[in-house]
Amino acid sequence: MMPSLQTKLPGLLLVAVLLLDSCNNNRVSPTDVSDTREVYRPIYSSYEAVRNIQTLAPRSIRQAGKIYIKDGFLFVNEIGSGIHIVDNRNPEKPVKLSFISIPASRELAVKDSILYADNAVDLVALNIADPTNVRLMKRIENAYPITSYPPMRGIRFECPESDKGLVVGWQKSDDKNVNCWR
Amino acid sequence: MKNLSIWFIVLLLAGYGCTDGGLGFKSSNDASASAGAGTGGSTARFTVLGNTLYLVSNTTLRAYDVSNSKNPTPGKETKLGFGVETIFPYRGNLFIGTQTGMQIYDASREGEPRHLSTYAHIMSCDPVVAQGTLAYVTLRNGTPCRAGANVLEIIDVSDLKAPRLLKSFPMQNPHGLGVDGNVLFVCEGDFGLKMFDLNNPTDPKLLQHITDVRSYDVIPSRDVLIVTGKDGIYQYSYANRKELKLLSKLTIEPII
Repeated sequence: MMPSLQTKLPGLLLVAVLLLDSCNNNRVSPTDVSDTREVYRPIYSSYEAVRNIQTLAPRSIRQAGKIYIKDGFLFVNEIGSGIHIVDNRNPEKPVKLSFISIPASRELAVKDSILYADNAVDLVALNIADPTNVRLMKRIENAYPITSYPPMRGIRFECPESDKGLVVGWQKSDDKNVNCWR
Repeated sequence: MKNLSIWFIVLLLAGYGCTDGGLGFKSSNDASASAGAGTGGSTARFTVLGNTLYLVSNTTLRAYDVSNSKNPTPGKETKLGFGVETIFPYRGNLFIGTQTGMQIYDASREGEPRHLSTYAHIMSCDPVVAQGTLAYVTLRNGTPCRAGANVLEIIDVSDLKAPRLLKSFPMQNPHGLGVDGNVLFVCEGDFGLKMFDLNNPTDPKLLQHITDVRSYDVIPSRDVLIVTGKDGIYQYSYANRKELKLLSKLTIEPII
């Protein structure tokens, strides 16, 4: 026999309360088939994969984000992927030196020869004295709060679950049965 | 003797070349605005002021002691409200752009930011830069910045505890901005890039509007403007204040 709504209700309420708590500024809305808002679902990655920082050969820039300059260097963040280091002593001929792969990074700043970047939920300090051999000096875990929602507004999304890994991005989904929105 | 003096000149030139042209990172001993730190755009969420690295997240300002730059050490956390977007260091203060206004913090005590004031405005996206006693803020509407206006606001911050709006100018869809002496740059997103004369700091006059470069943020420094565009990182010389001269473009590959 199927459980009645009455027996399911306390459980649903509990789930709703938990979701309210975990979804930051996003609230549970009843699933509505007539809802035409776009739906997104999280792209998860393992902590091990995300925390793997590498210096790679210079490569083409894809999705440029924040920029930063220091001492003839130009830094270009590639949204969610890492940082291009450019020799910009001659602005007429900028030369890409390397690409530092920093998964889920968007921000950066430099002091002396140390580059600070977000690496998903962590803050990392990288020694860039040799831009072709960048070395991790320090990792502060969980320094940056998890962004538990997509950057877009007026959309619905599948609520992230932390035990599935880190959310490193969002993609469109056809699943209409989702409980978070913003 | 004649040969000797020529060699002397050659050596002098060679020496000059070495000191000026080397690529490397200068350390905190240099006397700059924030010793040892670089410069970000107006949409930055990380900044170094003195010996402190500040990060803003959606709701919080976090301070890290970086007096030993290799060893950032977590410091104070300050709750800021919500919709925090940008941080701009200015004369020992932090100007923080949020979706509801600009917050000013005194950061003269390392790692201990102290709230001085909040300049509230309508809900929108708003990077901020400052120069002299003025702050320049762009407000833009549209996703993800909700409703709002598309304007450039000039705010008198001579009294940091009581910022007040001086003037507001209509814009098309302003994103990042940058100011350097007598010139102001505003990224208009899909509508291009604008350069304004700022000889009168409260009355920007349009000098040039480049319409074929979709622009999002800029860093002006030493007569070179670096622009993040949709399809490239553009660099212009603004040595001639009347017209930008394209120096180079680093292509950004389209997303397939």
